[in-house]
Amino acid sequence: MQIEEKLSLLNYKTDKGYEHITIKPDICAVCPDHFCTFACPASCYTLIEGKLNFKYEDCVECGTCFFACSHGSVAWSNPKGGHGVKYKYG
Amino acid sequence: MSEFDAIVVGAGPAGSSSAIKLASSGLNVLLVERSDPPGSKSVSGGILWGNELAQIIPDWEKTAPMERYVLSKGTGLLTEDSLISIDFRSKKFEKNKTGYSVLRAKFDQFLANKAKASGATLVTGVTVDKVAFKDKKVIGVEQDGDVITSDVVILAEGANPRVAIDSGLRKPIGDRDVAIGIKEVVKLPEATINERFNLRGSQGYAGEYVLGFLPDGVKAGGFLYTNKDTISIGVVVNSADLRANNSVYSYNIMEQFVTHPFIAPYIEGGKVDEYSAHLVCEGGIQSVPRLSGDGYMIAGDSASLSFSNGLVIQGMNYAISSGIAAAETAIAARSKNNYSADFLKSYDDRLSSSYVLEDMKTFKGIEGVTWSNLMHRAVPKMAENVFFNLFYETGQPKRHLYEILLESSAGTGMSKSQLIMEAYRAVRRM
Repeated sequence: MQIEEKLSLLNYKTDKGYEHITIKPDICAVCPDHFCTFACPASCYTLIEGKLNFKYEDCVECGTCFFACSHGSVAWSNPKGGHGVKYKYG
Repeated sequence: MSEFDAIVVGAGPAGSSSAIKLASSGLNVLLVERSDPPGSKSVSGGILWGNELAQIIPDWEKTAPMERYVLSKGTGLLTEDSLISIDFRSKKFEKNKTGYSVLRAKFDQFLANKAKASGATLVTGVTVDKVAFKDKKVIGVEQDGDVITSDVVILAEGANPRVAIDSGLRKPIGDRDVAIGIKEVVKLPEATINERFNLRGSQGYAGEYVLGFLPDGVKAGGFLYTNKDTISIGVVVNSADLRANNSVYSYNIMEQFVTHPFIAPYIEGGKVDEYSAHLVCEGGIQSVPRLSGDGYMIAGDSASLSFSNGLVIQGMNYAISSGIAAAETAIAARSKNNYSADFLKSYDDRLSSSYVLEDMKTFKGIEGVTWSNLMHRAVPKMAENVFFNLFYETGQPKRHLYEILLESSAGTGMSKSQLIMEAYRAVRRM
C-alpha cells in the first residue's frame, strides 16, 4: 500500500488561513541531506526535481520534522482552533 | 487572585488524570485540550499497563472503554526469512490483569469526560501558545495574546511538547529523546482475530518484535496489539540511525513490517482503516527535563516519562501516575499557599519514590541495549542460524549446540569477544 493511499484514509480539518509549520526555502535549497524527506511519516516533505516541496495539509502533527531538520529551517507550532488531523481510533 | 487554582494543558492520560484528582479534591481546574473532541489527536501503540487508574477511577476496568486484556505477551525476532518468537500466555493473567489494549480516541475522551464530571472545566479545540510569566514565575497560560491565570500550571502535552519548549521550560526534543512511531489500525472481524491469535472473548495478544532485516544500520521495533475488532500494528524507528543512513523512508519501514511473510498473515484480508504517527519517548532518564519550577510541573510524555526495554513499551501508566503525582503536589501546595519552585520540588520527590523515576533510574542506559547492534543484528541472525541448524535434518551426524552457536556467531559481523561483552552489558542493564 502506498503512503498516499494511507494518508487518504485520514480526516483533517484543514486551516486554510494558517500554516502551522513553515520552512525557510533558502536553507532547504542548499541542504546537504534533506533528512526531512526520509523522516516525515506523512511524506509532507518531498524533492521535486531537486527542489524541496513541503505541504502542511497532510501533516499528522507528530513533531518529527522539527528535530529531523538540523539546519534550522523548520518552525513548528500546533494548529489552532481544533484544526489539523482528526483520528477516529488513535 | 488567580482565575483558576490549576490549569492543566493537554487532556491525555497525564492531563485528565491530573484534572480528575484536582477537581475531585475540590480545586477549581481548567483542562485545556487542543483537539476537538479530546483524544482525536492522540496516538499510542497501545497497551495500558498496570492499575494506576484505580487511584482516580476505582471501577475503571468495568467502565473505561478497554479493548482486550493482555492474556498473551509475544516477543519476537524477525529476519528476512524467519521469525523466532516467545509467546507467553498464562491463566494467571486472567485473574491478575496486567494490561489492556486501548484506542486513544475513545479512551482519552472517556478520561476527559471523567474530569468534567469531577468538576473540571474542560475546554477543547483551544491551543495554548505559551505559559505566562510574571517575575520569572509561571502565572497561567497564554492563548492568542490572552492570559488566563492560575496558581499552578501542569503541562501534559504529550511527546511533542510545544508549550514547554516554546516557553523555555524544556530543551527541544532531539534524536536521542524520541523514536518515530508509525501505526495502522486494521479492521477485522472479532472472530477472525480470536482464531488467528488463539484467543477467546476479551483475551488479547500484545507482541513486540525486533526488525532484524533492515538495511545499513537502520533500527526499528515492531508492535502488534489486538483490539476487539481491529488490530493496532506499527513500528518504532530509531531517529539517530535513520539520520545516519539517510536513504530509508520511515513509512517504508512500516510497509516492510506489515508485509513481512510471518506478520502479513495476521492482518490478511483486513481493511486498513487508519494511518497515524506519533513520537515515542525512548531516551530514558537522560531525556527527563527539570520537572517543576515556580508555578509549574511537567507530566507524562512531555517530561519524557516512559519506559522501554525492548520487551515492553510503557508510557500511559507513567503518564497517569505522574499526572496524579502532580495533582497531589498541587493540592499540598494549595493547603500551604506555596507554589514556589522549592515547594513544587516535592513533585520530583513523589516521582522518585514511586516506580516512575525509580524504574528509569534502575534501567539507566537501557536504551543503549534496546537500540544496540547486538539486539538488532547479531541476536536475530544468530538465533536464526542456531534454530535452523537444530531443526533442519540433513541426514548427516548431528552436531553439538555449542558448535552451531560458535559457527553462527561468525556470521554476525561482530567478534566473539565483542559479542560476549555486549551480551554481558545487555543482561546487566536489563
